[in-house]
Parts: sequence; structure tokens; C-alpha cells
Amino acid sequence: MPKRTDIHSVLIIGAGPIVIGQACEFDYSGTQACKALKEEGYRVVLVNSNPATIMTDPEFADRTYIEPVTAECTEKIIVRELEEMKRLGVTGKLVLLPTLGGQTALNTAMALTKSGALERYGVEMIGANAEAIQKGEDRQVFKDLMISIGLDVPISGTAHTLEEARAVAESIGRLPLIIRPAFTLGGTGGGTAYNREEFDELSKRGLELSPVSEILVEESLLGWKEFEMEVMRDRADNCVIICSIENFDPMGVHTGDSITVAPTQTLTDKEYQIMRDASFAVIRAVGVETGGSNIQFGVCPDTGRMVIIEMNPRVSRSSALASKATGFPIAKIAAKLAVGYLLDEIRNDITRETPASFEPTIDYVVTKIPRFAFEKFPHADPTLNTQMKAVGEAMAIGRTFKESIQKCLRSLEIGRSGLGGDGKPWRIQGDMLDDRGPFPKDLLIQRLSVPNAERIFFIRHAFRAGFTIEDVFQLTKIDRWFLTQLQEIVALEEELAALKPAQGAQSAISNV
Amino acid sequence: MNRELLAKAKSYGFSDKQIAHLTGTTEDAVRAERKQTGLIPSFRLVDTCAAEFEAYTPYFYSTYDRGDDESTPSTKRKIMILGGGPNRIGQGIEFDYCCVHAAFALKEDGFETIMINSNPETVSTDYDTSDKLYFEPLTLEDVLHIYEREKCDGAIAQFGGQTPLNLALGLQANGVTIIGTSPQNIEVAEDRKLFSAMLEKLNIPQPSNGTATNETEAVAIAARLGYPVLVRPSFVLGGRAMQIVYSDVELSQYMRFAVEASPERPVLVDKFLEDATEVDVDCISDVGQFEDPAQGTTVVGGMLEHIEFAGVHSGDAAMVLPPHTLSQKVIGVIRDYTHAMARELKVIGLMNVQYAVKGDTVYVLEVNPRASRTIPFVSKAIGVPLAKLAAKVMAGQTLTALGFTQEIWPTYWAVKESVFPFNRFHGQDILLSPEMRSTGEVMGLDADLGVAYAKSQIAAGSPLPMGGKVFISVSNAHKRELAAIGKLYVDLGFELVSTSGTAAVLMEAGLKVQKVHKLSEGRPNAIDLLKNREIQLVINTPSGQTPRSDEVKIRTTAVYTNTPIMTTLSGAKAAALGIAALKRAGYAVRTVQEYYPTEVARPGTGK
Repeated sequence: MPKRTDIHSVLIIGAGPIVIGQACEFDYSGTQACKALKEEGYRVVLVNSNPATIMTDPEFADRTYIEPVTAECTEKIIVRELEEMKRLGVTGKLVLLPTLGGQTALNTAMALTKSGALERYGVEMIGANAEAIQKGEDRQVFKDLMISIGLDVPISGTAHTLEEARAVAESIGRLPLIIRPAFTLGGTGGGTAYNREEFDELSKRGLELSPVSEILVEESLLGWKEFEMEVMRDRADNCVIICSIENFDPMGVHTGDSITVAPTQTLTDKEYQIMRDASFAVIRAVGVETGGSNIQFGVCPDTGRMVIIEMNPRVSRSSALASKATGFPIAKIAAKLAVGYLLDEIRNDITRETPASFEPTIDYVVTKIPRFAFEKFPHADPTLNTQMKAVGEAMAIGRTFKESIQKCLRSLEIGRSGLGGDGKPWRIQGDMLDDRGPFPKDLLIQRLSVPNAERIFFIRHAFRAGFTIEDVFQLTKIDRWFLTQLQEIVALEEELAALKPAQGAQSAISNV
Repeated sequence: MNRELLAKAKSYGFSDKQIAHLTGTTEDAVRAERKQTGLIPSFRLVDTCAAEFEAYTPYFYSTYDRGDDESTPSTKRKIMILGGGPNRIGQGIEFDYCCVHAAFALKEDGFETIMINSNPETVSTDYDTSDKLYFEPLTLEDVLHIYEREKCDGAIAQFGGQTPLNLALGLQANGVTIIGTSPQNIEVAEDRKLFSAMLEKLNIPQPSNGTATNETEAVAIAARLGYPVLVRPSFVLGGRAMQIVYSDVELSQYMRFAVEASPERPVLVDKFLEDATEVDVDCISDVGQFEDPAQGTTVVGGMLEHIEFAGVHSGDAAMVLPPHTLSQKVIGVIRDYTHAMARELKVIGLMNVQYAVKGDTVYVLEVNPRASRTIPFVSKAIGVPLAKLAAKVMAGQTLTALGFTQEIWPTYWAVKESVFPFNRFHGQDILLSPEMRSTGEVMGLDADLGVAYAKSQIAAGSPLPMGGKVFISVSNAHKRELAAIGKLYVDLGFELVSTSGTAAVLMEAGLKVQKVHKLSEGRPNAIDLLKNREIQLVINTPSGQTPRSDEVKIRTTAVYTNTPIMTTLSGAKAAALGIAALKRAGYAVRTVQEYYPTEVARPGTGK
């Protein structure tokens, strides 16, 4: 199918200011979309209030509104642009592309749909339709849909009041429980409740913060393995997996706060194929006709039970990572699919030979590690949970997981040159501990069992203190394969340290 | 060292630094030994197809799983651009914006551009931003491999924030040509002693100050300067651990627990100028290219006046471009000082200066001869891509040749507002301080200053209310201005709510006030009203250096209930201005293409 010729102008909604959970990945995706649509000859209209973005440079769109990204303001822009198009004597349509500006853009588009503005002005939404967004974003609707196509989901229920929330908790029957507010960014206001008091507190906060006063109360999958699939689909129902991602940190830590690895490292081919098929089933059922989606899975390490956790019917933080990890420009392709192209009609820039319908294959390991800023918020709780707290991330590529993770750790700009052995001391509650010195056992246990920004470094300390892989697994539930890799790095560190000459002796290097 | 073990360590991802520390030698020695035995990484392609098809976009990573090397350096003139690494508070998207512009500019000028960065969220790591992309850590070791492999002609370290700047001297010592302002001159601005000497020579005032390497020295300096003083560690971005202290006790506490002071990393102690107006200036200069600096050109890109008084980190402050209260005289002084410092530091590229204005005296607080956080904002406000022009200047062009020799003073207003992550960090007080905590920014543009401010608040997610109740509670120091502020809101149709002390002052001025209990006086109190959404705006200024727990509760409840809150009187005044403007005529939208003048050729845009 060729591109649509009935469209004259495309209004792209940007993500607005950088906030936790919505960072410059949406400048990356928006910039790609602007370029792709201009390349196709469309007039591009953009709204984004963030002046620090490349996409708001005057060259990237024909009409750049550095104005608030709200429904009211976007409506003013639509009115103005329709007048402008009339003045120019244009016959084509103005359409709205809301899937490249994160949750902000999606929420703005949904508000314009609900208020009837889009219908009133005859503005079509491309890239995703309101119904699909609703199905993907409304947690209860999504879960019912998943069950109807034979997929498993965590046991849960939605609530609009504290009483309803308590009733759902009663029916699930056990704590801990996860509380997730509907339609909030990066899980804002969500959390894990371990007791009734905490449950009431989190439920109330979630209801307050959800723009539709709705929360999902869900069985806890703490300790389960977590995976993500980046999927794309076109109008002819071709589907491809761009990238599979495995979370190093098990469920309970927000994906944005987890160390993640691509491709998946601990799935068998059979398990991977089941997940791939399920991903296609999900994107079809939700009805994302064109573009990318991100689907999250949980897998019980003991029983192998696989559940669908959620899907984002839009380009997400993980899409940016998947694009960089594979070289496949998801946002650019999503923009082209939105205006009518099919995956097999879009050429892959990198090979110039294969079409975008070829699933990328990678022969290396990609690691992403989040960057936190707890030092700026000394009074806040530094525990990682389902509400994202990372302010940035680093990514590294290597031929093995070991090479990749150590490169990534030294990319973090936290003064570390790898997993350990760089000499930088640890400051723990006012005490300075030597990087290769002994660490108190109770400290190690606490730092392994409660997810925190520095847990990976404490895994090293634990191995150095004689913890076994099984000990560390029981405390962290991090897959034993990852732990084995880290233990091998620690073993080599010890081998290197053994070369250090005793005080006063000559350097090991000159003694070759 | 055993070559096999060294090779294994490298393939396990160990950095030279780790190996050096573990084996008791130096990073340089490990590097020398590796090079001697030919143990260097090979570069592989990210090609979507596991090498099954030929790849055309040069996107690389390094590995010690050696064998095939897929990077073939060209013989073109090459410039390496060092990115900013992971985003964090104080170093965000602004620096990525600058690096992307450097790539665009140098491509236009016929250079091959080589980008290095480790941040997957960015545009700089898009494979078609630069000619070659290396997705690698920004460390001395990794950068040198690429520079040497590609045989680059130069590297840009002043665009990626603190990360590449920290590498600049080490890179230079290893044969890398750093283009633009010399790292030595960047150092002059960072080194307190050299910097003070420079200002003295140029006869430019700065707040009295000193440098302390321990607690005793710090206390002695503070005694000489008089409290309050501003303390901070040297060599940090984003105001990490920057604080205003009011007493010996606070200062001792700070020196003991907040910083690790040492002779190499001293703590800077400055006299704090209370109630001064801060101004950020970004300029571009090519003077360093000329034997006689007088032949070069320096152009101020923009002056940003802070809305909050001095003491709020410039990354967190709301700002207005052009300045809305400064006199022409003060603006002239700021311009002169900026030009003089650019000449003295032989700047080639960008320079940011922070000034504090008290009365007619202009003090220099800080100079950074490199791309600053405000470069994208200023560029968007005036319609000239400063980072792009600066990259061209660094690569040898002059501003005269580029056609940018005149300042641009817009006839509209651009307001910058910051966005904070307080809703993620429950229990954290939200007061603005010298330590930066915002994650992002927005811009409000309009011909009317009030509307521009109101737009910035809408964009930042806390739209100004058009009516309802304002809860006012201010510190004793601010009581004399209280009545004026109260009247502003009453005139706009708001009802005032206060606790007894404040209410008495307002009533004395003839204003009607609804009294509400203090938290300790019983219920319903201010927090109940906030939770019931009966308050539409909170004006709450801190009572002193140690805020009362009542205040903190009110402020955090405002965040949690998403009620707009102003923690400075200047913010409250700006809000009133914005509300008045919106009430008058609402707001309209306009494209930047319409804001920028079309009749004047805009440099660096190809138009």
C-alpha cells in the first residue's frame, strides 16, 4: 500500500518537559518522526513546550509551536492550523499523530477525543485509534481482553474508592499487593503494600493521582522474572519483533529502574517463541493497527507460569533503547506506517537491501543501567519499587554479558570504573568502607534483599564475602545465570589482585 | 603481567583503571603495556542483521573479542564530539542538544563527525546524526582508543557538560587536540585563585570569598566574610552540595558531613548577596583565534533575568529573556564585563556568566567558558542556533564570516520555568535552593510578559488558578511586603486564607481574610483545606534556614494535591501578573517561525 495522499498536514504532539519517566527519548522519537514525515512531503506541525529539544528547532517542522502540551492549547493550534490550511487553499486533511510523545501526548489526544474536539474539527488520529489506546491503557479492559484471547494475567481488580479497593484485596486474599493508578506516567503513585495500613495509604494516593480516580489492585509477582518485547505492526497485519529485553532485576522494580539486557539471556528458544506468539496476539487483540508497542511479561521462576503485565500502545522509553540496541529506528518506521506504508515497503537504512519486515538479529549483548539522583533528595526513601525514580540511563554493548555490564557500569558517571576493584571507597551512613575491605554481613543482606540503586555492587561485595550463588539468589531472586556471570568477574578480580606486589615491592607490570 | 590474564581481564570488560588499581600500578602503565603487546579493542558494527548483509550506517562498539574489525577510518578531516553520558539532574538534554548541533554544523563545513556517547535516550546517538557513531563509555581509555584509531584532527569537549570537560586535560596530555577555548583557560575559570586574579586584573567585582581545604579554614573564612555564606565543592555541575549557611554550627556540620574537602578538591566559600537579582548571560566569541583579541568578535546571545532572588540554582530558577527589570546602565555593565572576560579567557566558542545585581553594582558569581544549560533556551528565544555557530567557530570560522555580529533583542518575552520530581520523592521539602533538583524545563512565549509567564506555568503542569482561595503564609522578613501581595490577589478576585499572625497583618491593611488554624491549633487546618481542594494557590515563603515542620507539611501537601505553590514573593508577584493577563484576554498560540524575523537573514540557519 502506498502512502496516503489524502493527508496534507500532520500534527505531532511532543512530550513536554523532561520528567522522571519521560525523558529525552521522546525528543529522539519525535525528531525521527518529524524527519520521516517531512521526507514524505507532508507539512509537519509540532507542539512541544520543551525548548531544549532538537525537534523544536525551526528546521524540523514546518510549523513549530513552543506552547503548553495540553488539550486546550492543542485545540487552539488545531483551529489555527485549519484556518491556515484554508487560507492556503489546501484540500488535504490535518491528522494527529499522538504515539511519539509519550504518555503526555497520548493523554492529550485522549482528552481531545473525549471532549469531542477531534470530531468537531474533523481531525483523524493516526498511528493508534482511541479505542486501541483505551484498551491498552485501561487496566481492567486490557486484562479482560487478555483472558478472552487465552493469555494469563495477574489476578486483580479495579477500584474507584477505598472500599472497592479493600474488597478487591479481600478477594485476592493475600498481601503483598501492587497498587497501580490508571493513566499515570511511569507508575506515578503506584507501589507495593506489605500490610493493611500501607495498602490503605497507597490506595488513597493512587486514587488521588489517577486522572480518572481508578486504581488496579493486583497480586504481587515479586521475585518473578520480567521480560519486554518491542513489537511493530502494519495495516496489512504484518508483525515483527524488534527486540526482546530481559530485566536483570526481578518484578517489583519498575522497568525504568531495572538493569535490562538485550537480547533475552535466560529463555530457551521454545519459551522465546511462546512469548513472541503472545506478543503478536496482544498487539492484534488491542488493535494497534500501525506502529510500535511495548509488551511486558512476567515469568514465575519456579512454575514457568507466564503472565502479561502491561502494554504501551505507543513508542516508549524501551523503544528508544531497542532502537539503539538493534539499529532499527522504531520511531521513524512507526511514523511511516502511520501514513500508510507497509513494513515490507520500507527499506532498512542500515543494510539498504532488507526491508523493515526483517526482524533484527543481534550478535552482541546490550546492557542498560539506570542512573539515579538520590543524593539530591536525602529525605526520600531510596528503595526501588514500582514507581520509577531513575533520572537517566547508560547503555553499553559488548560481545558477552560480562564485557557489556562492566562497560555500562563505567559509563554511569558515578565514579565507578566497573563492577569493582577501582579503589573508590564506599560511604555507608557516614562510615567509609574500603572497596576491597570487608563489609558487615547484615549490611550485605539488607542491601541484597531490598532493591536499591547500588544492589549490583553489593552482589560483588557478597561474593567477595563468601556468599554462594544460591545465597544471593534467595536474597535477590536475580536469575542464577546473571549471578554466575558476576561471580566469574569477581573471581577474575581476585586473580588480578593476587598480582599486587606486597608493600614496597616492585610493580607487577615491570616484572613480566 | 601475564598477557593471557590481561587479555582475559579485558574481555571480561575490566577497565585499565580497575586493572591498575588491583595490580598496584597506574592506568598509564596498563595502557602502555597493552599497546606494546597489541592488546587493543576491535570495533564492530551494529547492523540489525548479525553481519548477514552489508551495513552502510557506521554505528560501532568496541570489544576485546577480537578478530574482525569493521571500522575503516577514512582520510577526511575529522572532528570528534564527546557527548554527555547518562542524563542526571544538572546534566540533561541541553547538552545533547549542543552535541547534535555540533555534528550538524561540522558536517555542513565538510568535516567527518565522530560522535561518542553512552546515553541511549538521545538524538546524538541516532545513527544519522553524525557520520560515525561510537556507542561507548566516556572514559579516557575508551575515548583514546577511538581517537587514535580514527586519527581525528580534533575533539570538542565543551559541549557535553561536565563529563567530557573532566576528560579534557587527560586527553590533551595523551595527544588529543581539544578545539575551541583551551582546557587551560577553562581551568582558569574553575580555579578560584586564578579566577579571582583575572577579575582583579579586569577590575570586575565579585562577592568576597575564600577557599577552604578543611573545617578550621572554612570557619575562619566565614568569620572574615560574615554570614550568610554560600559554600560548595569545586568542580561540580548542578550545584551538588551547594548550600547557603548562616552560622558556625551549620558550617561545621556542612564541612563534616556534606563534602569531602581536600587540597585537590577544596571547598569554595563566598559571601552570599541577599536579595540580589541574578542574571545568566550566554555569549559566543571567536577572540581566541586572533593574535590581538581586539580583532575578534564577542556577541551576547541572551541575558536571562531570574525571577527568584539570588540563592536559587540557575538550573532551577524561573527566568525571563530579555531582562524585565534591569536598567540600561546595568545591562551595559553586564555586556562590558562579558566582553572583557571573553577576551581575557581567549574564548573560542561559548561562554556562560552568572551575575548578581545589587543596586547598581554588578558582581560576577561564576564564569564557564563552555556550552551551558541555557544555550538551547536562548537559541530558541532569539532564533539563532548558538551551539551550531559555536561549533563552526571552534573549527576555524569567524563570527564575521558567519554573519553573527549583532545582539538580538526580541520584542516578545520568553519565560523559562523548571519542572521538579518532588512527586516521586515523598517527604522531601520542595524549597528552591542553590542545589539543583529540577529534571526539565519549559518555555512560555508571548508578546505580553504576564501571558508568557502564565504559559510557562501551564506547560510546567501547574496552571495558575483564575479564582478561588489563596493560602498565604510568609516569613517575618517578608511581612512588610505581605499587604501588597495580598492586595494584588484580592484585586484579582481571590479570597485570602491565613493563620492568625499573617491574618492580623492583612486585616490591618484593610483586607478581608478567612482565618484558619495552624497545624498545632486544631482542625480544620490548612492541610485539611488543601486536601479538600478548597485552596487554589499557596504562597508560602520559608521562615528561616531551618524550616518549621508545619511549613514543610503544607508545602509537600500542596505538591501531593497538585495545588500550585509559590515559595518566593517574586514568584507570587509574577503569578499575579500572569493571572491578570489571562483574565484580560486569555492566550493565543503562535509558531516560532512566526516569532523569528524573516526580513533579517538569520545566521547559521541557511536562510
